[in-house]
Amino acid sequence: MAFLVLSHVSKAFGQTQAVKDFNLEVEKGEFISFLGPSGCGKTTTLRMIAGFEQPTEGQILLEGEDITFRPPHQRNVGMVFQSYALFPNMTVAQNIAFGLEVRKMDRAKIKERVHEMLSLIQLEDYGGRYPYQLSGGQQQRVALARALAIRPRLLLLDEPLSALDAKIRLELRQEIRRIQQALGITTIYVTHDQEEALSLSDRIVVMNQGQIEQTGTPFEIYNYPQSEFVASFVGQLNLLPVEVLDLSKNICRVAGQEIRFTPTTNSILKTGKVRLAIRPEEIRLGMVEGENLLRCEIASVIFLGSIIRLRVKLGEGILISVDQFNERHFQPPRPGEVVTLHFPIHACWLL
Amino acid sequence: MKRNLRLGLLWSWFWMILGWLYFLLPLLATFLFSLRAKKDTLSFLAYERVFKDPNFWKTFAFSLEIGLITILAGLVLIVPTAYWIRLRLPRLRMVTEFVSMLPFVVPAIVLVFGLIRVFSGAPFYLTNTYLGTNALLVAAYIVLALPYLYRAIDTGLAAIDVRALTEAAQSLGAGWPVILLRIILPNLRVAMISAAFLTLATVMGEFTIASFLVGIKAFGPYMSLVGQNKTYESSSLAIISFALTWAFMGFIQLFSRGRAEAAPPGAH
Repeated sequence: MAFLVLSHVSKAFGQTQAVKDFNLEVEKGEFISFLGPSGCGKTTTLRMIAGFEQPTEGQILLEGEDITFRPPHQRNVGMVFQSYALFPNMTVAQNIAFGLEVRKMDRAKIKERVHEMLSLIQLEDYGGRYPYQLSGGQQQRVALARALAIRPRLLLLDEPLSALDAKIRLELRQEIRRIQQALGITTIYVTHDQEEALSLSDRIVVMNQGQIEQTGTPFEIYNYPQSEFVASFVGQLNLLPVEVLDLSKNICRVAGQEIRFTPTTNSILKTGKVRLAIRPEEIRLGMVEGENLLRCEIASVIFLGSIIRLRVKLGEGILISVDQFNERHFQPPRPGEVVTLHFPIHACWLL
Repeated sequence: MKRNLRLGLLWSWFWMILGWLYFLLPLLATFLFSLRAKKDTLSFLAYERVFKDPNFWKTFAFSLEIGLITILAGLVLIVPTAYWIRLRLPRLRMVTEFVSMLPFVVPAIVLVFGLIRVFSGAPFYLTNTYLGTNALLVAAYIVLALPYLYRAIDTGLAAIDVRALTEAAQSLGAGWPVILLRIILPNLRVAMISAAFLTLATVMGEFTIASFLVGIKAFGPYMSLVGQNKTYESSSLAIISFALTWAFMGFIQLFSRGRAEAAPPGAH
């Protein structure tokens, strides 16, 4: 049996169904991210695992033990909050020691554990400071140390980096992963930031409107999205209206031009509205034999530093995004110029 | 431009001085009058007489005691209530805020008559004993101090992220008593001190309820009696009670400032 099992978990707030039939098995030591837009039910699910909310239906098992209705303080589950939630009346060391004191641990042992935690987050000299004397990034590291000090069975992080600025976010992201791997602790991480989810997780659970859209490794989620929602929420995606010409030969037509696509299941065609999906970074300027080619007109050029994003007009009202890596000698095309684009057959699929 | 600025400054000074005079002149006049107990010279005779009167100390001690019990009972009642409303019943905040304002609307005389009517007959014979009457007095004072108590505590709670702190403590294994005693109360220190001094100031000077329930035993009715019978002593008592109120306000400032100064600049 898996380390953590969520089985048919649902949660309703009055008439609103926040989480619907959520099923997940998490192995020991895994790093799982719940990814989705705000209001998709990811935080509610995390709060049910923590014990702050009770499921309307379903069951939560931790190490084979039913914890569905157990109060939060009896679960031994560590939690890190977006707002840090450090106790303002206590120093850093007292904050970290709090959970151990509640457990009536021996004083010498508490001191030792606090020291160990402070060195884990590389803030050895900060034990005597109060939270308001620390920067946001330092406060969140202390919150992480406080949650880990009790040696929890599970570590839950609720958008821990959202309140921090971009540079600190990146640093702390790497630190969270380093600490998680060093301790081998099973972790659930809630975020709406796809980059965080992709870079941190062993597996990602993409959620939308209270339901799981797809569960998989970051590679699977990005490269093989199973729904339009996942495809467009994780990374950029072009969705072009197509007319399927020959399904057996995988040929379709976009704005009068023929395109060959990756073989697909027939079930997609039954949904009626069929579209061709392709990531902006798969499309290049120029012509290559054996690949799909598209003639179109440049609408705009946006310089983003390492990437140049082209908006390209393909027939009436169809716009495609094309991402090119910036190179110093690269001369970006001008708006109005007619160009040819190419992309491999395996890069596009029907949705 | 510069002229306008100077004119504006002049006006602000003018209003400020006018304001000060409005408050200070009567006080100064009262103070000067209180020094005239001895004919043709200024002396503190009236104050001496007040301080030598055993009834002054007796009534003062009685009201202080009632005030302290009111503070304690009020905080025990209000802190967990306000905390729970912020944590679990945020929709009830409108109702509790309204209820906490009622003592401003319902006159004290109505309150005390109501209390006497209800608690002087079956099944509650509270007014028949000293203890019962004092308990009734404390209960009435809690109602009277409710706006100050509830407001101060609720503002204190608004300044901390009650929900996140509670949940953080819960996830670390703390039950309700530990959360209240070690997390919520220490972070409400300033709010509780403000509430306490405001309550004490209210209780020490209160007249209506005290005179109906305990009469001359309390400080308020004592001051009123002195005011009716002794000319200079009543002025000195007015100055003393002013000084007391100001001392309480000063304490609130002192305690709340101590906290703000502890934070180094730019730490937030």
